[in-house]
Amino acid sequence: MLNMPVDVIATFNVQGKIKPNYIRLEDENHVLHTYKIENIVFSREEKYAGVPVILFCCNIMRGDVVQTIHIKYHVRSHQWVIAER
Amino acid sequence: MENLIFHIDVNSAFLSWEAVYRLRIRGEKTDLRSIPSAVAGDVKKRHGIILARSAPAKEYGVRTGDTINDALKLCPNLVLVDPHYDLYESCSQAFMEILREFSPCVEQYSVDEAFCDMTGAVEPYGSPVAAATLMKDKIHNELGFTVNVGISTNKLLAKMASDFKKPNLVHTLFPHEIEKMWKLPVGDLFFVGSAMKRKLHALGIHTIGELAATDLDVLKSHFKKHGELIYAFANGIDVSTVSDGAPPNKCYGNSTTTPYDVDDGSTAKMVLLSLAEKVCTRLREDSVMISVVAVSIVDIYFRHSSHQLQLISPTNITNEIYKAACRLFDELWDGFPIRQLGIHTSRIVRGETGKQINLFDMNRYEKLAKLDKTVDMIRERYGEDSIKRAVFLDGPVYHMSGGISPEKRKAKYADGVKSL
Repeated sequence: MLNMPVDVIATFNVQGKIKPNYIRLEDENHVLHTYKIENIVFSREEKYAGVPVILFCCNIMRGDVVQTIHIKYHVRSHQWVIAER
Repeated sequence: MENLIFHIDVNSAFLSWEAVYRLRIRGEKTDLRSIPSAVAGDVKKRHGIILARSAPAKEYGVRTGDTINDALKLCPNLVLVDPHYDLYESCSQAFMEILREFSPCVEQYSVDEAFCDMTGAVEPYGSPVAAATLMKDKIHNELGFTVNVGISTNKLLAKMASDFKKPNLVHTLFPHEIEKMWKLPVGDLFFVGSAMKRKLHALGIHTIGELAATDLDVLKSHFKKHGELIYAFANGIDVSTVSDGAPPNKCYGNSTTTPYDVDDGSTAKMVLLSLAEKVCTRLREDSVMISVVAVSIVDIYFRHSSHQLQLISPTNITNEIYKAACRLFDELWDGFPIRQLGIHTSRIVRGETGKQINLFDMNRYEKLAKLDKTVDMIRERYGEDSIKRAVFLDGPVYHMSGGISPEKRKAKYADGVKSL
């Protein structure tokens, strides 16, 4: 699986800090599911291959299971991408 | 205080950059650097040479500059990837930014190598080797690719040192360690090309040490001024300094290998026009004018010929340079099908100088200058393809040839993240 672009709702505070709140994923049957991001475990800035990215490691609730996911915000293209762990 | 110069060289740059992009940004699983792989042009467009190869590909004997066919004969399972120049620019910029954190004086020597003047800047790190190791590891950790660092007291020795053993290593080559360099074959010396190497071999000079021990007068009599230069280099002498600004261009030129053989004059002139568009845009961007125009032709038998003329007065107007190029082409071309065409300009005049007005087209000059300026502005704002000459409409020739064509800038991935 490659990193895939995803829909995200995020808040940007006055200090310029970014916080993803909701993420929308598509399942195998092309049905969209929205998940609330429960908490952010950590975030860090990366610049591999000269591409500035902010990585968020966060927890979402899928049913009654907590799942940890990695999503990346591409600073230049403003795209959100979900990375396989 | 003695000078301290670092030379930093990215290990198989194009390939490692593509590898990092695929791993980290696209999320692919295979590291191109760990399998036989290479960045190569497009065979169908006859740009079919290897631009960079991985270390495993090197073991098969694949060399940079080989044709794709030759490379595949040596290594049938070679993975070929397209060039991706936008990525290279982005990587190169990030690389230079990190170097500038270490020293205020950084000279970008090419897209993937640079010199750093570290005189007086290594004390906080303890030793030059410690500073270089930190620099190399920082680049590896933050950007994901590896570099070699060469340390010495001048640019030449630093460059020779970074070439020793790869990848991801720091080497020193201080003047007292010059024996390390003397053992190497003479072809490895900076500024000794393949032709020079042959001539030196004919003189019985095979290693850099032998060159350093040769009588200077012998070298001077054979190679004139260049003999002095390589003699100094072989002895580890180089007086050039690290300069952070790029030196001004001495000439501007572009050439292109056509996707098919050109056997009629009118198509060839169309290619020349598209080259003139490119060269002149670059001239106007740097606000310089040129007074010498040259045209070069490589025919299908790989025979190279060129011809030049001096203009009455310096110019950067596309039409004038195109006209001169056509005249040169008509005088030069022997009718054999053409593989590659080029326009090269030199004898640069900087800034606004008086224009020698020609009695017969003085009005046209100002009109054309205005037209060129307007076209440049439109292209800058709306993109290179927003305006083009009608002859190029639906034609086989792209309207601005030479340099890096748009399709080589972006990589063509079928799915996943596409943006940089």
